[in-house]
Amino acid sequence: MGPGTTGTVDYAARHLRVGWRALLVFATLGLILESLQGFKVAAYLDVSNETRRLMWRLAHAHGTLLGVINVLFAFTLKSSSSPPPAAPRISIALVAATLLLPLGFFLGGAWFYAGDPGVGVVLVPLGAVALLAALFWIARSTRN
Amino acid sequence: MTQVAAPATVATSFDGVTVEAAAGGPMQLEQRGQELWAEFGDPDDASLASDTRVAPVRPRRIRRQVVMITGSHNQQIFWYTTGNSRVLGQLPAIWLTAEQTWIPRRAAIMAPPSAAHHSETGAWNGICLSCHATAAQPRFDTPFGSRPIGEQSADSRAVELGIACEACHGPGDTHADANRNPLRRYTLHFTRAADSTIVQPARLDSRRGSQVCGQCHSFWEFANAAAEREANAHGLPYRPGDDLAATRFVVQPTSNLETAAMREFLAADAGFIRDIFWSDGMIRATGREYNGLIESPCFARATAASRTLTCFSCHTMHKADDDPRPLRQWADDQLSPRAIGDAACAACHTMDDAHSHHRAGSSGGSCENCHMPHTTYGLLKTIRSHQISSPSVQATITTGRPNACNLCHLDKTLAWTADRLAEWYGSARPALGADEQSVAASVLWLLKGDAGQRAIIAQAMGWRAAQDASGAGWLAPYLALTQKDQYDAVRLIASRSARTLPPFRRDQLPRGSAALLITSDGTFDAARVNRLVRERNNRPLVYRE
Repeated sequence: MGPGTTGTVDYAARHLRVGWRALLVFATLGLILESLQGFKVAAYLDVSNETRRLMWRLAHAHGTLLGVINVLFAFTLKSSSSPPPAAPRISIALVAATLLLPLGFFLGGAWFYAGDPGVGVVLVPLGAVALLAALFWIARSTRN
Repeated sequence: MTQVAAPATVATSFDGVTVEAAAGGPMQLEQRGQELWAEFGDPDDASLASDTRVAPVRPRRIRRQVVMITGSHNQQIFWYTTGNSRVLGQLPAIWLTAEQTWIPRRAAIMAPPSAAHHSETGAWNGICLSCHATAAQPRFDTPFGSRPIGEQSADSRAVELGIACEACHGPGDTHADANRNPLRRYTLHFTRAADSTIVQPARLDSRRGSQVCGQCHSFWEFANAAAEREANAHGLPYRPGDDLAATRFVVQPTSNLETAAMREFLAADAGFIRDIFWSDGMIRATGREYNGLIESPCFARATAASRTLTCFSCHTMHKADDDPRPLRQWADDQLSPRAIGDAACAACHTMDDAHSHHRAGSSGGSCENCHMPHTTYGLLKTIRSHQISSPSVQATITTGRPNACNLCHLDKTLAWTADRLAEWYGSARPALGADEQSVAASVLWLLKGDAGQRAIIAQAMGWRAAQDASGAGWLAPYLALTQKDQYDAVRLIASRSARTLPPFRRDQLPRGSAALLITSDGTFDAARVNRLVRERNNRPLVYRE
């Protein structure tokens, strides 16, 4: 077993994989948003679509940031001699946050009610809780 | 639209521009950073009391900062600080958006050239503010107009310039407070229930809903002097959802002509009704569409709420997300996508193609062209009448109002129209004079009509549908004649219409057309043209736009 490996699960490899793929997906989303802006697509830029614009930009920003956090977590695991006992639940929470937060923002902007995001935005607080839990467990496992 | 005047909001340059077309002498415009200034003849100079277009005078010159703009689609009107409290004055020239040119302010009003100079100083505070700003309070020290404006002061205020949310939805503080709660908002989204904390005009009953628009788009007066004093101090008391008639006297000659209030208004101003309504009570001035609506059978005689015409049957104040039209196109008349073409009428009326006796899909087959002709005038153009009616030669004879048939068939006589209406719809043929039987109705109105009728016909002559139906080859000489009209507004409309015509070719004149008063050698029948012009209705006409 190498650093970041607990039992048969290589958490470091998992989060490198999740992190870089998230970066690929959400950096691509950023390019798409820039294109929508560049081509003045009404469904993105019209005043009445301001909620969509905000939600999708938040999806892009959160997805990209979570990709970076996954990569950082993977390097954190690799830098320690053995993974923390909480690694399984940190991993689950971080992957959940990486999916739920940007997906919630994206769906909230895909269908929305005037100034309010669509119902998909309920995924956001769930993802936020998962992220905060993961960060708390990571912080606690690194206190020594 | 009301905006603070700045280089970014004016539709033209103020940077070192001289405007010759201004009453009281040339107007010098100047841009100082973000400030706009003008030097011009003082509209309140006493010497201007004798000023007319016929005998102009040169008043003393003043230099003032321009601080406010009203209008955007058709024209921009500019307001300057007078130095007297918050009383604003109006520049003596306005900018025409379509023509990209300045014209004297008085030329933009349908008024005879003999009309004496009229200062608009204080009009913004006392009149315009109520509908061109939201939650406005004129706050004159004495009622506007009760004393010379130079002796009055005003501490006018408004919550917002222009028509903002609360103008149509009423006070919004309770609504904003209640909807800070996301659970409340999502419950309303999911249930599609009405939000009890705000007025939604489209959910009000047809009368109350339309009154929201009617608070500005109607011809009304204060019920009494006390109501006027109260409005002066605290703004108009009407709030969306209220009964407009509770706080206003909405002028409706067909039903309240004999009231004490109306008698009082008519005693003070003989033109109170005459200059804004046709003689049968149909509104003839733009911006008073509520008066037209409430006289329409689709409103007045409707038997079910779902089949009652309201402003929202055709118009929407918020462009729908799925409306594919560009914003500018929608904003032109703020028509709902469901009201384009015949759709709004077809929501209640089922008519086969035979009803119109015109080819399906043609201009003559459209509901609005027959039942909402362009007989309402204001802002240097005609718009559709918002009182739904059917073409009637009898109504034309009685009121002088051009009928829909002859507004398109410009080359036809009233007798021709009477025959068609009798044949198709069984309408009685009214007794017609010799001219009505032999001369095209449009020619009669253009030569004999009052200034309002002449403006309507001058614009109809620039209407593509009318040119197609009537031939365009004979219109140029008549429009050239109309460009010599004594009314500025009529001349300007005639010039616009003339620009829509193909180059004039004498060989395309319908020679020998008695109805068009064109002789066999391609000239006007001078004797008859001159006689008709001599018979012109020269009653001074001042539209209350």
